[in-house]
Amino acid sequence: MALRTFARSTAAMALAIGATAAGAEPLKIALVETLSGPQASTGLLYRDAVKYQIGKINDAGGFGGEPIELLEYDNQGGPVGAADRVRAAISDGADVILQGSSSAVAGQVTEDVRKYNLRNAGNEVLYINLGGEAMELTGAKCHYYHFRTSPNAAIRVNTLLDGMSEAGVLGGKVYAMNQNYSWGIDVQDNTVAAADRLGFTVVEQTLHDVNKIQDFSPYVQRIQAAGADTVITGNWSNDLLLLMKSASGAGLDVRFGTAFLDQPGNIGNAGAVAEGHFLSAPFNPEVNQDQTAGFMEDYKSVTGHYPSYVEPVTVFGMMLLQEALKAVEPTEDGLNAADLAVALENATANTPMGTISMRAADHQAVLPMIVQEVSRDAVYKADNTEFGFVPIKVIAARDAEQPVQASCKMKRPG
Amino acid sequence: MPLLTGVSVDQILFALLNGTIYGLLLFMVSAGLTLIFGMMGVLNFAHASFYMLGAYFAYTLQPLTGFWLAIILAPVLVMGVGILVERFILRHVHEHGHAHELLVTFGLSVVIAEMIKMVYGKFAVDYRVPAELNFAAFSLSGIDYPFYRLLMGGIAVVMFIAIWLLLTKTRVGIVVRSAIYRPQMAEALGHNVPMVFMGVFGIGAALAGLAGAVAGAFYTTNPNMALELGVMVFVVVVVGGLGSMGGAMAASLLIGITNSLAVGSDLRIADLMSLVGMGGWAEDLGGLLTMRMSSLAATLPFFIMLLVLVLRPSGLMGEKE
Repeated sequence: MALRTFARSTAAMALAIGATAAGAEPLKIALVETLSGPQASTGLLYRDAVKYQIGKINDAGGFGGEPIELLEYDNQGGPVGAADRVRAAISDGADVILQGSSSAVAGQVTEDVRKYNLRNAGNEVLYINLGGEAMELTGAKCHYYHFRTSPNAAIRVNTLLDGMSEAGVLGGKVYAMNQNYSWGIDVQDNTVAAADRLGFTVVEQTLHDVNKIQDFSPYVQRIQAAGADTVITGNWSNDLLLLMKSASGAGLDVRFGTAFLDQPGNIGNAGAVAEGHFLSAPFNPEVNQDQTAGFMEDYKSVTGHYPSYVEPVTVFGMMLLQEALKAVEPTEDGLNAADLAVALENATANTPMGTISMRAADHQAVLPMIVQEVSRDAVYKADNTEFGFVPIKVIAARDAEQPVQASCKMKRPG
Repeated sequence: MPLLTGVSVDQILFALLNGTIYGLLLFMVSAGLTLIFGMMGVLNFAHASFYMLGAYFAYTLQPLTGFWLAIILAPVLVMGVGILVERFILRHVHEHGHAHELLVTFGLSVVIAEMIKMVYGKFAVDYRVPAELNFAAFSLSGIDYPFYRLLMGGIAVVMFIAIWLLLTKTRVGIVVRSAIYRPQMAEALGHNVPMVFMGVFGIGAALAGLAGAVAGAFYTTNPNMALELGVMVFVVVVVGGLGSMGGAMAASLLIGITNSLAVGSDLRIADLMSLVGMGGWAEDLGGLLTMRMSSLAATLPFFIMLLVLVLRPSGLMGEKE
């Protein structure tokens, strides 16, 4: 340990000396993601998107005349690994920490950052949450140095239900099927809360283990027994795929409303089974074609694939950061995180989907959402199949916005 | 009875059928594992990786050969991989003992998973049940029962009978069993014991490959599938008794059916305690006591394993301690 600290400080010193010679120290941004192991597929998408937009920022001159340095840390998919990597990132001199996949990991990172900032007043670090969508992150756990640039459970569920209701496909009986952890419980709670407003009944609510179930047929049987028209689910990855396939195999005539159906591989694996199911997401390639087409092609030319799933909203979040950085004066050791926090609260960015901004009260991004359906008519096909996502309704940022949670008691500095 | 409120006979029938078929799938994978352990004493950590390889091989072959030939050829290829692993890796490690075998097979499972990711990508591939097999076998109170599920169950049953006959009724079976119990004597009688071991390992791998080729199309074929099933397969083998084929069958069905019934049940521990007049106390305490059975379903197999290990450490039908 001692040796490692020594090596690290020597390396940091060498870097510092090198940097003073060149001018101000470059801004260091740390990506603490799941880069290995079974859940790495999503973490690597976050990395692609972050790299893409930081490349853009550096092309435009970087920060304080220096290109931004992106440090990568592998949290190995769990909160324990993340806690360790966050410590390493901070000691390596990162001013901003980025993380997205898994609300469970996000919960750990945001607490670690909050505690670090309490102990190191005047030398704070900032946590930009690119994709942890559990409500508590901008609720009970909210704090001044956490910013969420993705939607949250309330935004996802309410826009999804609004869009499906307006398209006349929601039906009167809704089944809430979710994974048993913070995110799944939030989706369930928000579905139940919207019942009176949109005039449907929640016939049953089920929470099940996360990514452990191979055989969903017993659950499908419950859906059938409950007589549901629609299943609203926050499930992702295998839990979503297997549930849909099992329902289709049983000949069940239900429509799925989902949050993560656009994960790569889902449409390819489900095929025709996915047709007609709904998704609410912050991006669709067919919206604002004149701007979006350029973004799609440029992203593909840099990363080798079209942006999908978590990538677009991550790019948009980094655009917001880019706008905020323009309003911040560089200091000798990079930047002052407190300045950046103020700038982020006031930042707006023009994305291909429309304007996104940061709400000062709880640091939740306010962004447009697109309710979409899986269809053969899509322009951009998913996973080389004949299916893709067709926009049904574009919900403007202010309409997608959900109230600030009462549990968020943010303590502002000064 | 709070147990049965709102549950029809049809639903219970379906739950039993679902549980049985899922159990049979678990058996298909664990059969190879328990066979290898029972005969060679090798606890093969990479076994579920053979299951994954079977699925990916069948996915690759399907466009070239059609579905049926693909699920026949894929296990043959997996057997080839298994034989190579036994011949060139395990055989050298065997003499160093169980710890080394475990480590080597564990490493192998990681290597296979990473190679799959390199070749086929990180996400699920579009390996699906062919359209001509994708129909309902029968329909009960509004739910179709997919024919393919019955097919999977049928293949598992045929496999069980075939292995049983092979081991107990044929000359090959006699040689294999004697090679296990008295290797020196079998060798002295002119049988090639290392060859027998290699064959057993290959067959065990092929069984897992067959399960993967069949089940991969029904569930999903992705780089995590070995991990997802691997743990459950070990639970089955431990509950059934290491090395016992009949035990593996019993444990698979037990786990499949309890899981399926638990998902459909809203029973809580608090409800059970109210039968002895402690319901109110349990409600107040909350926590685990008021959790629904359905949200604990995936944890039940581990609970069963714990119970079996405490009460009968050798497993349901195991002979070895």
